[in-house]
Amino acid sequence: MAVYERTWRRYLGELTPLRWRWLVVTRYALADAFSSRLFTAFYAVCFLPSVVGIFFIYLSHNVSLLQQLGMPPDLMNILTDKFFMLLFSWQALPAFLVAVIVSPSLIAADLSNNALPLYLSRPIDRHEYVLGKTAVLAILLSPMTWVMGLSIFVLQAYFEGGDWGFENYRIGMAYLVGHVAWIVVISMLTLAISAWVRFKPAARGALFAIIFILAGFAQAVNAVTRTSFGDLIHLVRAINSVVMSLFGAPTPSGLPVSLNWFTLAAATALSVWLINRKLRPHEVVR
Amino acid sequence: MSRPESTSTPAIELDGLTVNLGGRPILIDLCASLEGRSIGLLGPNGAGKTTLLRTLLRFFPATSGTARVLGLSLASEGKELRAQVGYMPENDSFVAGMTAVHFVRLMAELSGLPPEPALERAHETLFYVGLGEARYRKLGTFSTGMKQMVKLAQALVHGPRVLMLDEPTNGLDPPARKRMLDLVTDIRDRGETHILISSHLLRDVEAVCDEVLILKDGRIAASCNLEAERRANLSFVEVELQSPDQRFADELSGLGCELATHDGGRLKLVLPEGRTVRDLYAIADRLGVGIRHLDLKRDSLQDIFLRAMEGHDGGL
Repeated sequence: MAVYERTWRRYLGELTPLRWRWLVVTRYALADAFSSRLFTAFYAVCFLPSVVGIFFIYLSHNVSLLQQLGMPPDLMNILTDKFFMLLFSWQALPAFLVAVIVSPSLIAADLSNNALPLYLSRPIDRHEYVLGKTAVLAILLSPMTWVMGLSIFVLQAYFEGGDWGFENYRIGMAYLVGHVAWIVVISMLTLAISAWVRFKPAARGALFAIIFILAGFAQAVNAVTRTSFGDLIHLVRAINSVVMSLFGAPTPSGLPVSLNWFTLAAATALSVWLINRKLRPHEVVR
Repeated sequence: MSRPESTSTPAIELDGLTVNLGGRPILIDLCASLEGRSIGLLGPNGAGKTTLLRTLLRFFPATSGTARVLGLSLASEGKELRAQVGYMPENDSFVAGMTAVHFVRLMAELSGLPPEPALERAHETLFYVGLGEARYRKLGTFSTGMKQMVKLAQALVHGPRVLMLDEPTNGLDPPARKRMLDLVTDIRDRGETHILISSHLLRDVEAVCDEVLILKDGRIAASCNLEAERRANLSFVEVELQSPDQRFADELSGLGCELATHDGGRLKLVLPEGRTVRDLYAIADRLGVGIRHLDLKRDSLQDIFLRAMEGHDGGL
């Protein structure tokens, strides 16, 4: 841009509202994520399951097309529960991958370059900084998960007509609550890893390790104790059970759903504690 | 959000400020009212200079006592206070992968500038600190001197009323150091911003500050107004004549000088207001007296600093 002044003076213009200042953190982090064409392309691909889901709903309500394809005209009635549960997991998986790609650099980059004092010497506090970073994941993951999920649910209710939407409200609730719970857990977990592990590949590896090693350990505990208590540390099973219960389907965990919720809440609380421990505007010298 | 600055409001007020870190007292019962345009924080390593700056930014909580910056309370008006402050940390601090202009713009927006003015001022400020041609370069490729300048730019971009600089000349070569001090002097002389400089380099502080606070072991060892010291020292003169001459002493007394004579034609005198060294030369010329040596006795910052250090237990 053309620079007219090459000197310095006080700024006396309008200021943006203090309460929304944390959105600057979010905006810059999003711009950074989408500065990679590869990531932008991958992000677009993540919507593929939802696009396929929309096509399936269109197909299931196009009787002539179903007849041409040799499919039963009440295809959707037969497949409703399975379709929505399958679509849920096919939406959640890419969301997880997006979180794995984006989150390692969210906090680690600022910590490794000692940028935190610069953020926190401005009218923004640690909580707003974390809120700004969390919002990055929420904004990235929401469209491909619960927003598309609810849209597909509404589309199906519209095509089906009558009371289908009211009768199957659990599906809409499952999409909203299940995906939001998944986003919160995965966002906090990945941000905590980002705060503690500064090397990106190591942070990504740590996330997979936490999920899969814990899952393996949980299986071992279940096998040795011949109980389901290992599921208390099995994050994937916990979220699966919660989602299944929201859909009204049998849960894969042997524990009550309330304990699965507890597992998710505990993982989130632990992540928040770890983030809080690490985010200081100065290096802690021991 | 901005509050009109009262002329009587001190830039920094410390009221029994005590800060403990890890159970150890780092700042102990600091009480001071600093009103200078440019205030130097001096002290040996570990004296608590950086801790004081960070406490003023609310990075550390005050264990007891309180502090005010431009009348804004540290305890209850932290965000308003930080909105008025620009901070240049001592260590390398930047956001990875960003160009200089992108980085400074981000910092401006975090301080509340809307995106467009933030971008405009980021460009202007980078030109001001001498990084105009490097503003589209990634920060990771900057030299130490350039990183120092970009840190200054991010501290300045939003036009703060208090600028806190932590060791601003660290790692700079002589030309870059001069450029940094010139910039600080320029900002000071504009009269719109109070500058608080933490440094252990006496020459830097002496060059740009009009008030100093000397810390030692977390306590205030001395606090003085350098301008007043300089003015007072200017009138104190030591003269050595080639040979003792009573007429010269009498003439000086006639000028109103306070005078003390010593053996060998040495005189110590305090010039009265309105009289300068030029008057001494004029009298010597008129009386045909030869002046072998004349010294404007100046209490340098080094003297003040050393006295402050000697006045407390421990050495430098």
